[in-house]
This record gives sequence, structure tokens and C-alpha cells, in this order.
Amino acid sequence: MESTEISPLKRNNVKVLGKGTQPIVFAHGYGCDQNMWRFVYPAFEEDYKIILFDHTGAGNSDETQYSYEKYDTLEGYTEDLLEICTELDLQEVILVGHSVSSMIAVLAAVKEPERFSNLVLIGPSPRYINDEGYTGGFSREDIDGLMDALDSNYLGWAAQMAPVIMGNGERPELGEELTNSFCRTNPEIARHFARVTFLSDNRGDLPAVKVPTLVVQCSEDIIAPQEVGAYVHHNIPNSSFVVLEATGHCPNLSAPEETIKVIKEFLDLPAKA
Amino acid sequence: MDKNSLHNLPVESAEELYENAPCGYISFLSDGTIFRLNTTLLHLLGYGRKEEIIKIKKIQDLFRIGGKIYFETHFFPLVKMQGFVKEINFDLVKKDGSFFPALLNVNQIKAPSSGLVTYRGSLVDITDRKNYEKVLLEGKKKAEEATRAKAEFLSTISHEVRTPLNAIVGIGNLIQKTSLDELQREYARILQLSSANLLELVNNLLDLSKLESQKVKLEKRNFSLKQLLEVLFQSFELRAKEKKIKLIKEYSGNLPDHLLGDPIKINQILTNLLGNALKFTKEGHVKIKIEEIQRSEKKVTLRFTVCDTGIGIPKDKLEIIFREFSQASYDVNLEYGGTGLGLTISQKLLQMHGSELKVESEEGKGSEFSFSLSFELSEETAPSRESRSRLTEILAASGARVLVVDDNPVNLFITSQYLQEWGLNHETVGSGEAAKNAVNDKVFDVILMDLHMPKMNGYETSAAIREMFPEPPPVIIALSASGRGDVNLKMKRAGINAYVPKPFHPPELQEVMVHFLTGNTGDPGNNKDISFTVNEQPMFKGKGKAEDSEPVNLERYHQLAKGDKAILTRLIKNSLKSIKKLREEFSLTVYNEKGEKLRRLIHKHTMTLHYLQAYRLSQLLEEYRENLQEEIEKQVQEDEKANIMEELDKIITRLTKTDPSQLL
Repeated sequence: MESTEISPLKRNNVKVLGKGTQPIVFAHGYGCDQNMWRFVYPAFEEDYKIILFDHTGAGNSDETQYSYEKYDTLEGYTEDLLEICTELDLQEVILVGHSVSSMIAVLAAVKEPERFSNLVLIGPSPRYINDEGYTGGFSREDIDGLMDALDSNYLGWAAQMAPVIMGNGERPELGEELTNSFCRTNPEIARHFARVTFLSDNRGDLPAVKVPTLVVQCSEDIIAPQEVGAYVHHNIPNSSFVVLEATGHCPNLSAPEETIKVIKEFLDLPAKA
Repeated sequence: MDKNSLHNLPVESAEELYENAPCGYISFLSDGTIFRLNTTLLHLLGYGRKEEIIKIKKIQDLFRIGGKIYFETHFFPLVKMQGFVKEINFDLVKKDGSFFPALLNVNQIKAPSSGLVTYRGSLVDITDRKNYEKVLLEGKKKAEEATRAKAEFLSTISHEVRTPLNAIVGIGNLIQKTSLDELQREYARILQLSSANLLELVNNLLDLSKLESQKVKLEKRNFSLKQLLEVLFQSFELRAKEKKIKLIKEYSGNLPDHLLGDPIKINQILTNLLGNALKFTKEGHVKIKIEEIQRSEKKVTLRFTVCDTGIGIPKDKLEIIFREFSQASYDVNLEYGGTGLGLTISQKLLQMHGSELKVESEEGKGSEFSFSLSFELSEETAPSRESRSRLTEILAASGARVLVVDDNPVNLFITSQYLQEWGLNHETVGSGEAAKNAVNDKVFDVILMDLHMPKMNGYETSAAIREMFPEPPPVIIALSASGRGDVNLKMKRAGINAYVPKPFHPPELQEVMVHFLTGNTGDPGNNKDISFTVNEQPMFKGKGKAEDSEPVNLERYHQLAKGDKAILTRLIKNSLKSIKKLREEFSLTVYNEKGEKLRRLIHKHTMTLHYLQAYRLSQLLEEYRENLQEEIEKQVQEDEKANIMEELDKIITRLTKTDPSQLL
């Protein structure tokens, strides 16, 4: 039996910032929470209304709202995202999704195309597992390997958070509001989210995206290799493709300036016909 | 040691200390490229020369694939956020492809002059530690599995026991209504009493196992506290009178009535406490007291107290009474019976509410149990529990148009008989497709939906109907024999408003329908009422009569037809059709070894078998299905199959020969 309905804003720890009117929603990827945008979103504060949130089960979201049934597909997360948009009455939304959230963004834009003006997909992969004629970068066994890594690290990972609560003198820019939740998820939920993320296949949804889209690809990203980014670009009709100099899977952390630059350039473009 | 030797100590350079440190050192750039490592690590990894690694490999290349993903999605983001991460376990891959577990610490280092950011890691081989850990984890896993298995076993057994027990209780009731001599009456009384006690024990066990496996959740819905208390009193009044004990209620008329909370759990707790109080009190009184402790605009906190003038509890036993299966003493059990589970369950239910059951007692004088609960005040009025005739009246007055969707003709007919009795306009259809067409053609206020149908099941049909946006939106009530499960979300998504288990108690269905027809819309966006709860107890399924010589008993149809020959004729005709179909499907179907198909087949005909009281057939089918799961010899299976076919033929003959006019 479901318990009481709680507001999506509370459920997903939604934060609204910025001075502008056009909303820009930042959706975090697998493994972390909204804090991973902390080097990126300040650059948009002057001109946009910024919406940050944690996926249910991640960060400071209301974990009690997690259900294995609802979040057994990315649709569950998509529902949450759209509920947040409805609750805040967001229109003309720019939706920036990192990693798995780029596919959640795709699903949201297919479901309610009229709500979104632009999509920015950072390190997207519509399918992580190799298939006939498609290179995703992983095999099924690789994903089981991730499960093992999650399992063997649960305790160590939890212990990691303690120093952050104590405050971090060396890195004052982290500020006090950085909670002790970053990258910390209930191990059962983390496993489930990993499975849902890495076993998803959203290749069929790409052509249905009608919103102008920017595909941002990192150099040497083992999670989403370059051919995967190119595949996404080819299959979303109205999309542009940019390869960052930044390496790894999280340019929003490792190369925030470059990430900000490509997003701004894309948003400043006159709307394509 | 002489002083001289201390002067001749060898010099240890930083270089040497670095290279031969007991742990591996590694330095790398933002993209992971390794630019320095020590000899210890080089050897751990099984390489001969540093040139094989430096500037060629990245730190990610040293991990196995799962570790690579973990590094990219968890580890490195955290390093970048907080500047360091300590003691995370990665499997390191050696030159020869083998691997070993290691703990990795990483610090971020910013060169003061250039501002270049690099990372330094230390790695410790933890192969031995990992082996110990593995043994411990295996032990832990085994212990947890054993506990779980035990709990599941308990739950399954309780569940399985409950079904025949319901039959025993039911039969006990029936026997008492027949003409009996004094001795037989006494036997029947004992039978009834003991079986009722046993049923309570089993229900408690089920509750407890559900609570322990955390399958119980609190609901939040509107309810009337006064109504709850009234019903509670009514049920205890008789018992109190019999024992000549005064039942006192003490609460102000200003008590807030409309609350948000879980009335079923609260009722369970109070029932338990009052039941105990009455049980352990021989003379005097039992009192329930409710006080308002705190009240704000939106919230109220109430203290509930149940006290008695009974035998009391010795001081040293006050703690243990909350433990499972414990009563204050063995003699207590002998004299008063009971399971010793009630207080445990109540305590757990209160703990779920963030509250606690407190006890004060003096031996020989009485006991006092109390707890506090906070509720949100509700603005809406709770759906009131109407009497049965009142329900029928309201339903008839509602003029609701009802669509019944079920692939089984007997089910359709029986349901439509009830609707007829309640004075409701209705139509019946046999498939999801037909339901869609009906909704397209006509307006329905209520749709009663079977969930298990071939081709288009009830979920799909409901979702399809919601897609059609009929105006006004109908209330969709699912009727299914599959019992209560985690179907809520699935039903919600399909736009189903409520769920009533089948075979249904007519008043339950009436109550649910009245609830939705009076003031509640069928708008699926507003279906908080999906949790509308109906009695979880399965309807009495007389399973124990399998030895009867008659293959079927038409008494239920007889009752249902209420003397109408046309109805009875149709009921019999329909069941004959249904049984013939069952025979055909049974003989043709090749069952997979899990008996899944057979389960569905039995499921489909549940209502027919129930109304025909075809106990022997039900039992044969059930046994056959169970044996399928246990991979019984083929010959035995064949024999059983033949028995079932024979029984089916008997029923068909019997039904064919029946003359409805002779029955009336």
C-alpha cells in the first residue's frame, strides 16, 4: 500500500535558484546527485531560472518514496521529472541531462514535447550494452562487474562521507551546504538504479525527439564512447554534436568552464527552423 | 648495542623510502594518465619496467570493468568535489591479466606555482583481508537467508492453514444450526471455540511475519474516530455482558472526529487491548479512555488508555509480555489461552507510528495500557459505514449504470444477478475489446473489471478505456481472485480506482461502489482512494466436503435465484457451458511442469466451482497442480488426470439432468 502522496518538490529535494525567467533544469546522472552541477549552474544564474533536483533514491531525495516497481524503468524517473515541471508550472524548459539523465530527458521531451525548448545531453548513451551492429561499450558481464564493485564498497563508501560533514578547510568553495549525501545512495537502490541504467535501451526513442538538441561528447569517455555520442546525434533529427577536450565521464565536474561554454553557445544560437 | 654502531647506520633516502614503501604509490593527471609510480606497485602489478606503464597507461586501465565504471561515476566525481577519497576497494589487474583486491586512497594536489592539478594515490594489497571478509560475509549471508527462509515458511504455512481453517470455522457454525442433542451441541461448541482460537493464532502469525518482513505500511486516509469506537464497543458489549463486566467509555464529546490516519491498524491495537482486558478480568470493569493532549489547527495528539480490574501482571514480567509468544506465566496460558502475540503486534504497529505501548500494573488489582498517537485533522468527512439495506437503497437511488467485464460467463451472470437485486442498470461483456466498444457506445458510471482475461487483460482494458476519455469518467473497480498484492501501482497506472477480491462479499462491493458514487469522482488523477480496503479474509470456501457423494451442490444457485425459475435455468445452463469448456481446455492443454497454465485455468473457473460447491473437483485439480510442481511420475499424473475427467463428466451429467422446476 502506498503511503501518503508527497509533493514532488519535497520528494526530489528540488531547489529553485537564479534571477531569470526561462527555466533551465539540470538532471544529474548515475552515481551522484544535484551537487555535481555546482560548478556549472552559477554561470546561468543571471539569465535563467535554475532548477536542481535529486532523483528519487539519490542524494537528499525522500528515499521512502522509492519503489522497485516504479523505478524499474527510466519511465519512473521521467514521470518524476515531468511532475516537477508541472508542479512549478515550467514552460519553454531547457533540460540539461547528464549520463543516464540524458535518456530521461529524451523520454520527457518525447512525452511532453510542448514543454521543452531545448535539450542538452551530456555523455548520453541510449544503450550501454553491445548489440548486433551497435557498439555500446559494455557486455552484460561488465555490468555484473559493476554490481560487484558496488557490493564490495558499500561500507567503505559510507565511511567516506564523514570527513565532509566535518567541513573541509582545504576546499572552502565546497561551502557548508554541501551535504553529506553526495554520491551516497542506499546500496540496494544503487544496485537497482545501476541495473536499470545500464540495461536500458532507448535507441527507439531518439528519432521521436523534436526539440533542438545538443549532444555533448567527452574525449575518451569509457562510459559513453564517442561512437555512441555520434549515434545519438545521427538519430535525433534536430541535433548538433560537440566533442569536448575534457576527458572522462563527468565534464560538469572536471571541465566546468568548457561545459558552460558549449551550453551557452548552443542556447545563443538563433532557433533552427 | 654499542654506541659506535649507531653512528654507522645506513642513510635512507626519501627516494628509497618512496620506492620500497609497504604500499604502492601512484601519481596521475586529471585524465588518469599515470606519470609516476613506485617499485612496490610495479611489482604488485607484475611489471618489470616502469616504462611499460608511465605515460602509456591510465589509472582506469588498472581496474576491471566494473571498477572502471565505479571510478568514473562515483569515485572520481567525489575526488573532484572534496579533494580526496580514502580506502575504496578496487580490483587491480596485473600484467598477466590476473587481479587482486586493493584499497585506494587518492588526494588531489594543486601545484602552487603552475596551478596544475594532479592526483596522488596509495594502494594496499588486501588479498588476505578480503579472504577473511569473504568467509565472514558468507556466514552472515547464510544466517540471514536462514532467518528469511524461516519467516517465509511461517508465512506460507499460516496462509495455507488459514484456508482449510476458514472451512472448519464455517462448518462449525453450520453444524450449530442443525438439530443436535445436548452432547453434540457441546462438541460443536468446543469445535467452534477452538477453531476460532486457532484462526486467531494463525492470523496473528501472519500479521507478525508481515510486520517482521516490513511488508506492512501505514495508510493515511479519512476516517471517523467516533464511528471506529462505536463499532469497537458493539463488538465487545456482548462479551462484557456475558461476563458481567462493566464496559466504560470515557471521552469528551468534543473529541475530534474526522482524522487522517490508519483506522485498520488503530482498530487492531484497540481490539487487542480491549480483548485482553476482558479476558483477564473476572469482575469489575474495563475502561477505555481517550484524552486530547495537544491540538493545533492541523494536528491533534490523543492518548488512548485501556484499563481493567483484572488479574494484573507481576512487576518482573512487565517487560517480557511484549515479546513474541510470551505471557506472564505458563499458568496464565493454561487458564486464559491466547497466543501471546497480540501485544507484540500492537507494540510493533505503534512503533511504526513512532509511538509506544506503555503498561502499568499491579498484581491482583488490574492493568493499564496506554499509548499516544498524533493525527492530522481532516476536513473531509469520512465515508460512513452504512448498513446493508441502506447501501442497497443508496445504490438504487444513484441510478448508476454499470458495465461488467469478465471472460467467464458464470461470473458475469452471478455479478449481474447481484446488480439486478440492487436495482442497477447494467450490461455485461466478455472481453476487453467488447468493453471498449460498450464504453464507446454508451455512458457507464461504474465498470467492474476482471483482471485476468485472455488477449486484453483488465489492466490493458482499463488503460485503453481511460485513453478514450469517456465523460463522465467511470469508476473502474477491479474484481479478481488473485488476492491482494503489490498491484496498487500497476492498477493506478491503468486508471483503476479500487480493488475488490473475488469471490466478493456483496456488501463489500456495495460499499466500494457507494463510496465512489457519492461524491467521489472516477477521475484517475484523483484516485487516492485506490487504497480502499475491503476485508482481506477470503470468503468461506467450504473445502472440507470433498468426500461428499454429490459432485456438485446447487444450493447456492438456489439461494441466488430466489425462486425464479428462469434465473435458475440460466445459472445451470451457464455453469454447464463453463464446465464443458473447462473439460475441453483441461483435456487439450499440455501443462508445463510449473502448472502455470493449469493455475490460470483453475483461476478462471474459481467462481463457477465455488457456486457449484464442486469441492471434490477443486481438490482434485489442486492436487494435480501441486503434483505437477513436484514432478510426480507420469503414470500417477495420468491416473489423476483420468480422475479429473471422470469427475468433470459426472458434473456434466448431473447438470444436464437437473430440472430447475423440481428444485424450486
